[in-house]
Amino acid sequence: MPIRILPTIAILTILTAFFAVPEPPSTADADIITIVSSLPRTGSAKGQTDTIVEGIQLALFQADIDPSLPGTQVRVGEKVYTIRYDDLDDATAAAGAWTAEQEISNAQRAVHDPNVMAYIGTYNSGAAAVSMAILNRAKILMVSPANTSPGLTKPNTGARDEPKRYRPTGEINYVRVVATDDLQGPAGAEWARDMGARKVYILDDNDVYGKGVADLFEVHARKIGLHVLGRESIDPKAQEFGALMTKIRQQGAELIYFGGTTQSKAGQLAKDMVKAGLTDCKMMGPDGTYEQAMIASAGADTLENRFYATFCGLTPEELAKTPRGRDFVQDYRKQYGREPQEAYTLYGYECARVVLEAIRIAGVKDRVAIRDAGRSLKNFQGVTGIWSFDANGDTTLKDLSGVVVRGGKFVFSKTLTVSEN
Amino acid sequence: MLVMWAAFDWTNFGQQTINGLTIGALIALIALGYTMVYGIVELINFAHGDLFMLGCFLALSLVSVFGLNEAGVLATMPWWRILGPVLLCFLVIPLFCAGLNLAVDRVVYKPLRNAPKLAPLVSAIGVSFIFMNIGLFWGGAQDVNFPDLVAAAWPEKSADGERIQTGIVRNLLADSDTGLRFTVKDAMVIGVTVPLMLALSLFVSFTKTGKAMRATAQNPVAAQLMGINVDWVIGVTFLIGGAMAGFGSVMYALTLNTVGYQMGFQNGLYAFTAAVLGGIGNIYGAVLGGIVIGLVRSLGSEYVGETWTSALVFAVLIVILVFRPSGLLGSRTPEKV
Amino acid sequence: MAQPKYPNWPMAFLIAFAVFPLVPALDEWFFTFTNRSLVQQVPGMFIFGILTLALNAAVGYVGILHLGIAAFFGIGAYITGILTVPAYPFEIGFWCALIVATLGTAAFGGVIGIPTLRLRGDYLALVTLGFAEVVKFSIQNLDAITGGPRGMNPIPPPEIIGLPEPLFVDSIGFYFLTLAFLVAAYLLLARIERSRLGRAWVAIREDELAASCMGLNVGRLKLAAFVFAAGLAGAAGCLYATSIGSTADPNAYGFNKSVLVLCCLILGGLGSRNGALFGVFCLYGFDQILSPIIDVGFNNKFLPTVITPWLARHDC
Repeated sequence: MPIRILPTIAILTILTAFFAVPEPPSTADADIITIVSSLPRTGSAKGQTDTIVEGIQLALFQADIDPSLPGTQVRVGEKVYTIRYDDLDDATAAAGAWTAEQEISNAQRAVHDPNVMAYIGTYNSGAAAVSMAILNRAKILMVSPANTSPGLTKPNTGARDEPKRYRPTGEINYVRVVATDDLQGPAGAEWARDMGARKVYILDDNDVYGKGVADLFEVHARKIGLHVLGRESIDPKAQEFGALMTKIRQQGAELIYFGGTTQSKAGQLAKDMVKAGLTDCKMMGPDGTYEQAMIASAGADTLENRFYATFCGLTPEELAKTPRGRDFVQDYRKQYGREPQEAYTLYGYECARVVLEAIRIAGVKDRVAIRDAGRSLKNFQGVTGIWSFDANGDTTLKDLSGVVVRGGKFVFSKTLTVSEN
Repeated sequence: MLVMWAAFDWTNFGQQTINGLTIGALIALIALGYTMVYGIVELINFAHGDLFMLGCFLALSLVSVFGLNEAGVLATMPWWRILGPVLLCFLVIPLFCAGLNLAVDRVVYKPLRNAPKLAPLVSAIGVSFIFMNIGLFWGGAQDVNFPDLVAAAWPEKSADGERIQTGIVRNLLADSDTGLRFTVKDAMVIGVTVPLMLALSLFVSFTKTGKAMRATAQNPVAAQLMGINVDWVIGVTFLIGGAMAGFGSVMYALTLNTVGYQMGFQNGLYAFTAAVLGGIGNIYGAVLGGIVIGLVRSLGSEYVGETWTSALVFAVLIVILVFRPSGLLGSRTPEKV
Repeated sequence: MAQPKYPNWPMAFLIAFAVFPLVPALDEWFFTFTNRSLVQQVPGMFIFGILTLALNAAVGYVGILHLGIAAFFGIGAYITGILTVPAYPFEIGFWCALIVATLGTAAFGGVIGIPTLRLRGDYLALVTLGFAEVVKFSIQNLDAITGGPRGMNPIPPPEIIGLPEPLFVDSIGFYFLTLAFLVAAYLLLARIERSRLGRAWVAIREDELAASCMGLNVGRLKLAAFVFAAGLAGAAGCLYATSIGSTADPNAYGFNKSVLVLCCLILGGLGSRNGALFGVFCLYGFDQILSPIIDVGFNNKFLPTVITPWLARHDC
């Protein structure tokens, strides 16, 4: 037995050497400000989050911070700080999507590191629901590029104790730069009516985001006189939905609304819809299905003129028609050598700019000061216009677009509005 | 009562039965491999589902080599140019899966033949994880579309019978007034599964190798004493089981048109359930189990709700096992002393 | 008992784990290299250890092939959630919830165990697996009770009268609490192992038929092991939910977790307490603690200091 000690010590020494030899740049901890992001960096949301991270990095580059270095010296207020950016993953390869455990672990890691001043994330609303309370207690500014579930910030839109349960300190630390589903769901319902659909069937993926947006779609659809044939949750781990689609076909649906994402089998649903003989039926999804991965998973032929998606903001092509948007697209192209492919690139960029602005206004390395500066940002010169955060921490911008699949890609169809509310 | 009888929608029921049979037959193809391997070496081969998944990825790669995976290509392609690659898939992929299964047996399970029962089980789980990661590396994390070759070869005609509708598979019952959909795909799945099951059963019953397999299943030591090369028999079993998974992969990819690295887990779980439900080790039992699961899924979706179907499958399994502890077709073996 | 000749490994490990957090410099030193705090990461391993010990009672001692331990872990976590979160009127706090979670999960174990434990080996394995799936989907679908996909939070940290609350928020208190529970579970199993019950369990594992010929009531003894495993897993689930302050989501209690526990147990050696914990140390430690650190080390230290300059030198 004692002989085994030797190899153990040897392994430990090697491991220690591995971490100890390449010394990290020696800076006093007090001078480091770390910005972290927590997004699903593995799994099928990777296409989207890659470009979100590129958006974040573009904003950092423009502030003369090189995110590829372990830190860049920047003057903030009266002192020079080393600003770092850390790109965390809240998904696991085994799950192929975000997991609560991973998101909680990321949040705890941010809380425990005294240098972390801001947390960019999350991508999925469900992930925000588990990490918001943790970050709220630690008074860290949290800025989301993509959460659209309204209950996270607005009272009386979700569960009874939302959003109070996410704010144990009573203070607001969570803001977001995208408009919420309480616009997207109703706008989708009105779009469906305008397309001539009378009978709709509503599905969701049993997740916070999908269920929330499907609920809002359903309420508004009933209000504007659409005939809701049924409402069901699917199991996003199931492999096929032939039986479900058969049932929907027999009820004569003209449009299926799916509250969910590409990762929760939107592609398979579309395929099984056509397979079950619902060839004239349309399908509509929220922003979680608006990505190239959706077309890759369902096949362009299946979706052609059949699949519609709504989302908050402007498509990259539409964006390029506005003056500030054109600048953004040009900067992006200069940095990465190609066009921004996905819609949320812009919001990653906006998030990072919000964080940098909050740090600049606060002028000190202090979580509370940065949080307060961030949440009370007013008249911010954003890419899509001048906006502010309202009392709940939501953006005052309310752009909504509708896209449709044509020729194997998403093309802009119309700007959406909610007329009756 | 009579009113309920009259109000019952037989079209719905019939359609869901067709759906259930098709899905059940697909599950049964995978379950055959499970049940054969279990019958001989009493190993729950958790890697079987992931072997099936790798078969699907190979099918996708093969089809891509022939250029069938490009957007818009299928609409103009004549059926005979699609048939060739499909037949090649039916040849290559069972061979690939059989070879891989045999290799896994020789490398991983064979050294553990006399180890405690849980050791090979955990090794099988390990192989499953390795396969899954190979799949992840091969095809990426996203679900990928498999081109709808069946619909391209047998497209649906429009009502006047002139124009063909691309991308929609032909309904064989379109001219009848039943209102049912029994597509070429459904026919194909059942047309492949049933002959395979019969062939397998005849093989096990009547060939010399089959008899050796049954003898090994009953008592490996006695079989060896009778001059049967047990190692060879086990190898053949893994080959056949792998080939079944290969046929399953091709059928699955052609009918459901989605390939993803996680598909092996869910389908493997259902197949394992099917094998046990039917009485593990029993070939007809595996097919029956698969069909029961398919029917529970489709009828459960119609009458209970889509979100409960998976829970329902396992609840039905538990109830059946409580009343028939050796599965539907399994025989109760007395405990050996 | 004769004094062992070689160093007492379990004791050495225990002392190392007990002393480590008392020296803050060690953890800080670790943090500077890895950006991670061991004091925060290790309680998860302790809880996993309790779960593995629970499975050891069923699989290791009695030989029931149990593929659904994560379901009982989840039931314990959700009972804790229902009893402690502000959304429900109970809010009975950690200690009462721990007791109710343990007993409630054991009751679930009884309900599923009584009709199914007479099944033979692999059929029983599938029933436990199927039960675990049913539990997972039920948690997911019974939205009104369990919060469905969003889970339940916040679960309050435990209180000990006389100790300041921040001790547990800061997690060093929690570290010792979970360690104490792990040691308690370990000693409880040691006690059972030497008792009449434990010897009967091992007899069933070795030869069920012979055991029943010797007059042991095999059915009742198996049920006892199954229920015991369920209860202990429920207690671990309660600790887990408290440690992350949330019940996480139903997918955290799926088949993957059951398999990981089983792998830990088999790696360490079935039926051995030290083995089970060593399996957890190796597998869970590698999977959850070491491999993320290696990732960080590779991306932040190795990549910029070794690989990138090398590539730059060779004009790549």
